[in-house]
Amino acid sequence: MNSTRRLRVDWPNCEARGLCFELLPERIKLDEWGYPIITGDIPKELLADAQEAVRACPKLAIRLVKAPKAS
Amino acid sequence: MSGRLVYASAKGPGVWVTDGPWLLANIEDGTGLLRHRGRFPAVQEVSASELATAAESVALRGRGGAGFPFATKLRAVAERHGPREVVVNVSEGEPASYKDAALALTRPHLILDGALLAALAVKAGRIHVVLPGEHQKVRAVMEKAIAERASDPVRWETRTATSRFVAGQAQAVLQLLTGKENLPVTAWEPEAFSGLFGRPTLLSNAETYANLAMAWHFGTAGFASVGLPDEPGTMLMTLAGESATPMVVEVPFGTPWERILGRAVLERPVLLGGFHGAWVPGGVLSGHVVSRVEAQELGFSLGAGIVLPLMQGACPLRETARIVRYLAEQSAQRCGPCMFGLPALAEAVSALARGRDTSKRVLQLTGQLPGRGACAHPDGTVRLVVSLMRNFHDEVTAHAEGHCTFSESHRPQAVTA
Ligand code: SF4
Ligand code: SF4
Repeated sequence: MNSTRRLRVDWPNCEARGLCFELLPERIKLDEWGYPIITGDIPKELLADAQEAVRACPKLAIRLVKAPKAS
Repeated sequence: MSGRLVYASAKGPGVWVTDGPWLLANIEDGTGLLRHRGRFPAVQEVSASELATAAESVALRGRGGAGFPFATKLRAVAERHGPREVVVNVSEGEPASYKDAALALTRPHLILDGALLAALAVKAGRIHVVLPGEHQKVRAVMEKAIAERASDPVRWETRTATSRFVAGQAQAVLQLLTGKENLPVTAWEPEAFSGLFGRPTLLSNAETYANLAMAWHFGTAGFASVGLPDEPGTMLMTLAGESATPMVVEVPFGTPWERILGRAVLERPVLLGGFHGAWVPGGVLSGHVVSRVEAQELGFSLGAGIVLPLMQGACPLRETARIVRYLAEQSAQRCGPCMFGLPALAEAVSALARGRDTSKRVLQLTGQLPGRGACAHPDGTVRLVVSLMRNFHDEVTAHAEGHCTFSESHRPQAVTA
């Protein structure tokens, strides 16, 4: 499975704690209210860090999914 | 244009419907099953591939606004194993849209025939019909029509959606049907794969099912008699603006916009696609015809067919600000970016209308809100605001200088931000 991964937030569950941002500032920033903004897909080099961010979310509100193929 | 008032609501003005060339032909027949069967034979067994081919041959697309090819959806559901579900969505999310209500009030059995065909094709044992919370009369007509169909080989089940903007959204409808709150949730998979109770679910809106029935009954030859060669058939449109009573008209693809709105009205900006739609500047539609393809080439979308011309003397900035404030209130208050971002956007757009150039703040918010909610409410709201910024840039400047070129009575307070 070489496909690129993408972070997706389960918005109704996200409570803006910002832990994901702390663990993956390369791909996540926070808006003025503390909610994550995903800035790009996850290449192989960042996969481990991204998985860590997913595990750390206290609300289980962020997931790694397959990035849809560009059409 | 004249029409008949098919629905006078206690709360609002109701809706006018005119006879149409296709779905809305013979609406003087009334809504009974007997008269309907006089024109449409009872639905027979049909396979998914036959029905998909019929839908494809008339280029049937979803009429809820997104325009997804129906045959693709039908095949996706039919290819999955296990029990499948069929859902008919008669509840329109858009408050400015009345076309599914109008269709339900005049041709309920056409919608139900289409849904029955779909259920037979994907071998679903029951059909869920989601009715609009805000139209009591629509519920009554649909319930009565369903009661006439006791001999259908499926079970009909009805549910009433709450009357709020996002209640008609696909995931919200599925939540309602599982007995939960009628609000959107995050969809990890399309509902055709995993929808109601995790089952493959065919969810489409009322107009789509009615067209499916027409495709089955009359085929390509029938469809070829109305519309364009590449876009056969018609589109139901809700026209509003001039009078307080919205009017639903059935428009064949290929109809000149002049015929629908009149030359003078076309010179004004038109909000196309409803509150989640986009402003089309005055004059742009002149000389063009109603067509999905042509709309795309001009850079906008027909959406669910809502056409709202700006009223004479109204200010597009003020109108937009009013709509965005409404949309911010309609947020289900569950997703942070929507809950905080839309009120902030409403505030920034209102400031524009008052004469403060908050363009930077507006663009910052429209840049960061899309895609960040369980449903497309933030995206739709942003689409409206982006179209304002793109098409009325000069007007924003004029407001910041203390005048409005659309409305003489509107005097913005020039404020240097
Ligand atoms: S860690 Fe979880 S709850 Fe916190 S901001 Fe990230 S996604 Fe939201
Ligand atoms: S995006 Fe907004 S309207 Fe949609 S579910 Fe989330 S809070 Fe509700």
